[in-house]
Amino acid sequence: MALLKREEWQGFVRDVDWSYSYVDDEAVYPEWHSGTGKVPREAWLAWEESYKVSYPEYVATQREKEAAAYAVKAALQRSSVWEGLDEGWKSATKMHFGGVSLSEYAAVLAELKMARFGLNGAWRNMAVFGQLDELRHTSITTFFGHEFISRDPQYDWTQKAFQTNDWVAISLRNLFDAMMSSANVVDIALQLPLVFETGFTNLQFVALAADALASGDVNFANMISSIQTDEARHSQQGGPTLEILVEYDPVRAQWVVDKTFWASARALAALTGTSMDYYTPLEHRKQSYREFMEEWIIDQFVRTVEQYGLRKPWYWDEFLQGLDIWHHALHMGLWVWRPTIWWRPMAAVSRDERAWLAGKYPNWEKVFGDKWDVIIDNVNAGNVQATLPETLPWLCSTCHLPCCNATQSRGGTWRVRDFPLSYDGRTYHFCTKACRQIFWKDRANVNHLTLVDRFLAGQIQPMDVGGILGYMGLTPDVMGDDPDYQAWTRDYAGRPAEGIAAAAQP
Amino acid sequence: MNDTVMTAGTGTGDGPPELVPLNAIFATDFVRILVPVTTANTMREVAAAVAHHVEGKRVRALPYEKVVIYRGERLPAEMTVAAAGIKPLDHIAVEYDIPERS
Repeated sequence: MALLKREEWQGFVRDVDWSYSYVDDEAVYPEWHSGTGKVPREAWLAWEESYKVSYPEYVATQREKEAAAYAVKAALQRSSVWEGLDEGWKSATKMHFGGVSLSEYAAVLAELKMARFGLNGAWRNMAVFGQLDELRHTSITTFFGHEFISRDPQYDWTQKAFQTNDWVAISLRNLFDAMMSSANVVDIALQLPLVFETGFTNLQFVALAADALASGDVNFANMISSIQTDEARHSQQGGPTLEILVEYDPVRAQWVVDKTFWASARALAALTGTSMDYYTPLEHRKQSYREFMEEWIIDQFVRTVEQYGLRKPWYWDEFLQGLDIWHHALHMGLWVWRPTIWWRPMAAVSRDERAWLAGKYPNWEKVFGDKWDVIIDNVNAGNVQATLPETLPWLCSTCHLPCCNATQSRGGTWRVRDFPLSYDGRTYHFCTKACRQIFWKDRANVNHLTLVDRFLAGQIQPMDVGGILGYMGLTPDVMGDDPDYQAWTRDYAGRPAEGIAAAAQP
Repeated sequence: MNDTVMTAGTGTGDGPPELVPLNAIFATDFVRILVPVTTANTMREVAAAVAHHVEGKRVRALPYEKVVIYRGERLPAEMTVAAAGIKPLDHIAVEYDIPERS
């Protein structure tokens, strides 16, 4: 018997579904997993993906991608490319491997949830492909990072980071648990494929691929580009879901999109912002983080939300102001608390690098230059000890990142201001107004304590620096340090120092 | 990190001083930090405890007194944490008391 042509069978199999006779619909698609809410059950019959794929096509394409990615890796394994890479760039990759590899596995679980509880057969099929994608991303990221463990133990955190109580890992788990694990599938489809994958993975995977190639890291560029090619397909689960939700419950759609965009922007400021504007060697930077955000994220996001009849989020002005501040402050925080991270953060504030930063961010010198100058003077005076922390940064109760966002008063003064909230007998502190608002509206779902909360609750023993580092899983061979203090302080050697730095000078 | 246990001076008081962990910012520093003080500490001691982590390390030291700002009010240097009503997890700011230019 001759095989049917694709167009003769695909329309039938892509959304196979049936009516249940032994159980009711609620038993198969319970509200707490499926989350239809105000949307009538039959409305989901209209769900349709724009780019249709069959399983044979999927397998053939993925096989080619895998073969190509591993062929490049095999070829480069025998070369000495890695040894020649800049330490700053290596840090960007270590941060990526540790932050991303098991986040991809969390995405496997989210896709599986949609594959089981999605409210339309076509959606469930698309999610099956999505989970296969994410499993591939977990494998390839873990495998590529594993190769370097014998050369540098920090790469061991490729697999380890996400499972530790390191504050960066807690922040990521907090983000992805809300985005992928604890939500119902309607919210997941908006949070993961629509907001995070359509928008923010571009940032880490496209922007960083360009910087990787420029930095000579062909292997890393090859890996993340291969991953990115999957995103376009499975991320399309978001559009049809949003289209239906907006029609019946626009308030919920707006809220889910808004809070996820904010949470993603906070995390990527730490992950991608620092990599692009500091860890990538100056001569290899293609665009500033802000420029990339404007071109790839902001325009596209605004177009998308308006296309579906939503508004720009309520926090839009606060977000835009943060583009000049967040990642610079987070970079300084990661550098100061460098013993608590699994990479070697390069301060990257030599004269040329500062000139580049000031050119891209006109307020950079005003807000950050004075602090780096004091740090530089201490390093040049041989007093690196004064640059190391003796306490914890205060971590935001929503994003779990340090509260380090300076804002300008009407009088022109830049200060890091407090955004507190008294709730249920205690005081919470937030890095921004939007983080406070999100906490308030989502307070029933908050289930992660920040590292500061854990410390104050006595969960970290002994209650000293050694106890904190041990709790986070940091060992001396992995704790971060600046790989080359001279590289960014030598330009300033010999200038008069003041204060502690002056006292330390011979 | 420096191998320092996070403690603050105990100051003087009627009863045994109680630990008061604070959310603190020092002048133009870039981040709020955890600073433990006690109910017996004076505002001068609290300001010094916060400054210890920042002054001359990230913020250039200035030749002025440091004052504690709590809920928008600057507090007297000799007032204790207990007398000021500062509670655990409260936020304080420490600023240099720079004379206004005439």
